[in-house]
Amino acid sequence: MPAVSRSNLILGLVCVAFALGVALIWVPLDTHTGIIERVRGRYSIGDALAPTVATMFILLGGVWLALFERRARSQSVIDGDQLRFISAMTGVVVLGVLIMRYTGPALIELINQFRSDPLEYRLLRNTPGWRHVGFLLGGVFMVTGMVSIVEHGVSRRAVVTGLVATLLLIVVFDLPFEDLLLPPNGDV
Amino acid sequence: MGVLDYIWLGVQAVFWGPEAFTLLGVYVSVTVLMVLAGFLLGIAVGATPGLAGPFAMAISLPILISVFGYSPDALLPIMGFLIGIMKGATIGGAVPAILFNTPGTPDAFMTTLDGFPMAERGQAQKALRIAHFSSAAGDTFSDLVLFVCAPFLAILVEAYLDLPEKAALLILSLSFIAAVIGGSPAKGLISIGLGLLAVYVGTGEDFYPRMSLGSEELSRGFPITTAVLGVLIIGAVFKSLEEYWGERRHLDPAQTPPQAGDQRLHWADIRRLLPYIGRSAVIGTAIGALPGVGSTMAATLGYTVGRGRYQKSKSARDPQFGEGAPEGIAATEAANSSVSGANLIPVLSLGIPGNAAAVFLILAADSLGGFNPGPAVFRFSADFVNPELVVVFGLFTCMVIANLFNWTIGGVFMRSMGFMINIPKSLLLPSVLLLTLTAIYVQETRLEAVWFALGFGVLGYFMRVLAISPLPFVVAFILGKTLEETSRQAYSATGNDPFFLVSSPVALIFMCLSVAVIVLSGRKPKGSAE
Repeated sequence: MPAVSRSNLILGLVCVAFALGVALIWVPLDTHTGIIERVRGRYSIGDALAPTVATMFILLGGVWLALFERRARSQSVIDGDQLRFISAMTGVVVLGVLIMRYTGPALIELINQFRSDPLEYRLLRNTPGWRHVGFLLGGVFMVTGMVSIVEHGVSRRAVVTGLVATLLLIVVFDLPFEDLLLPPNGDV
Repeated sequence: MGVLDYIWLGVQAVFWGPEAFTLLGVYVSVTVLMVLAGFLLGIAVGATPGLAGPFAMAISLPILISVFGYSPDALLPIMGFLIGIMKGATIGGAVPAILFNTPGTPDAFMTTLDGFPMAERGQAQKALRIAHFSSAAGDTFSDLVLFVCAPFLAILVEAYLDLPEKAALLILSLSFIAAVIGGSPAKGLISIGLGLLAVYVGTGEDFYPRMSLGSEELSRGFPITTAVLGVLIIGAVFKSLEEYWGERRHLDPAQTPPQAGDQRLHWADIRRLLPYIGRSAVIGTAIGALPGVGSTMAATLGYTVGRGRYQKSKSARDPQFGEGAPEGIAATEAANSSVSGANLIPVLSLGIPGNAAAVFLILAADSLGGFNPGPAVFRFSADFVNPELVVVFGLFTCMVIANLFNWTIGGVFMRSMGFMINIPKSLLLPSVLLLTLTAIYVQETRLEAVWFALGFGVLGYFMRVLAISPLPFVVAFILGKTLEETSRQAYSATGNDPFFLVSSPVALIFMCLSVAVIVLSGRKPKGSAE
């Protein structure tokens, strides 16, 4: 007789612990009004009620999983390959966004090393070229990186896909609209 | 203002709204053009395995808002475009299912069972014609039911339900969605709870934004686009890429088997198929009207019922269901297409999204303002014009226009989309992810929105890995604030009655049903959630 997976049991217990932690620690400590409040002699629902009800759903679901679905025939599990995959994907996206965010300001800093009157990225971010440089490099890195992970190797078509996709997005979002800001130009 | 006046105003708003161009002296409105563009895009997206209507809707929305701006005039062109995508994607999904044995959308899986065998016998074009006819017929039937039922349901809700009953109805909707989506009510409850928890971060009535951990970024709450697009789109992209990564495959371009013989759809064929289409259209419409029960279930049920009838009536030389029976395609396509119109019944009359496509229609309405789907939009006020009701009839007009496009040019365009299967997923999906993050940034203009979306995307990925459906999460996120607001008002309106959810008979029935639907769905023998 095949061994029954304990995935649902573990997931259920994690959900129970999470729900109790949120309901008993996070909500009371990080909400200024309780479940029911009395203001000037009148009762009203406080800010803590809704998130507490939300945790009740999670708690109920967790208890149900742990008690009634722990012996379900096929149970989904997270394996090491999936953790490696999502870590790599997230890493590529995070790096891509960081490249978008810091390429422009970093290039300005580099140029300023050779200039007597320093430039400021904030003032240049609306000029053609500067407004695209971070998005272009970050976007190409992000798409190329993801394609390379999925196809198990860097290839020319991965780089071309990254370049074409990013340039297309610049054409769609930036060229026709004066008021739209590509990443990261709304933040810097 | 009578009912007919409102209908006429809605029609006028579509046909005599902002002008796109004049063609041979004929005025062409932007809205009509947008419905057409959305419909064609929807077919192309549906015909591309790995993409689906909600992907295109999610990505188009910020671009459309940029084009049309935040104004009430933008409502009909943008929502018309989204409706076009929704309808187009439904018929597009049948193309790769029939030609290459690969469903373009999940609800087209049953179409492969008879569609591909027909293509192998050299009858691909005929199979595509059957799929298109059945799909268009089911869709049209479903829309007609929507036009009749949504106003009546909304009027009933407004007439008979007060605040406590409305709060109880929202809880019933959430319970129902938790119970019916996926195979495990426990996981549905967890998904609902997570969605509610997420929407309550950084909100509330107190001066201090609750659960913000003292962070300025969290104190503004999670923007709805980051949660919806993160969990639904980015999570789906990660999961699809992981499957592709795991398979380590390099596909050769797909080839259609050689075609021969009569490919036309004759009146005799239609007459033979009509009972299957009719039965499936009723099944799909009934299922579509229930929040959370999707088109895949409708397709499965339509196919199963169709097979039962076919076994009794087929002659000895007819192929079995699953071996290339045209009736199998008709039963499946009519059922899954008739979900789309009926799915808007809970959206328009109750403000409750029943599927992912409806989520994006609500998101569009929420982003643009001036239209809040729910029972209040159906107030037929005689003394003044209710602009939301005009928008509703404008949307109905858009659906009729999309159906006309479907009947006239939909089939030809659909049959030309077979090449879309050759676009590699491994190149397409990373580009979709960059597009989604860019669209979110363009709308929110702050980098933390991208981080939030990525976080929700990872959550959506793990939810899919653990077979927790992300749709209850999204629906709870959308309804969470309304539920809290309605409960606060109901509590005050009942004189601070803590039992307001069970103090009236109707509210009590809704609450009992909420418990019953969860308990009963949990009693069914199930292996695991899907």
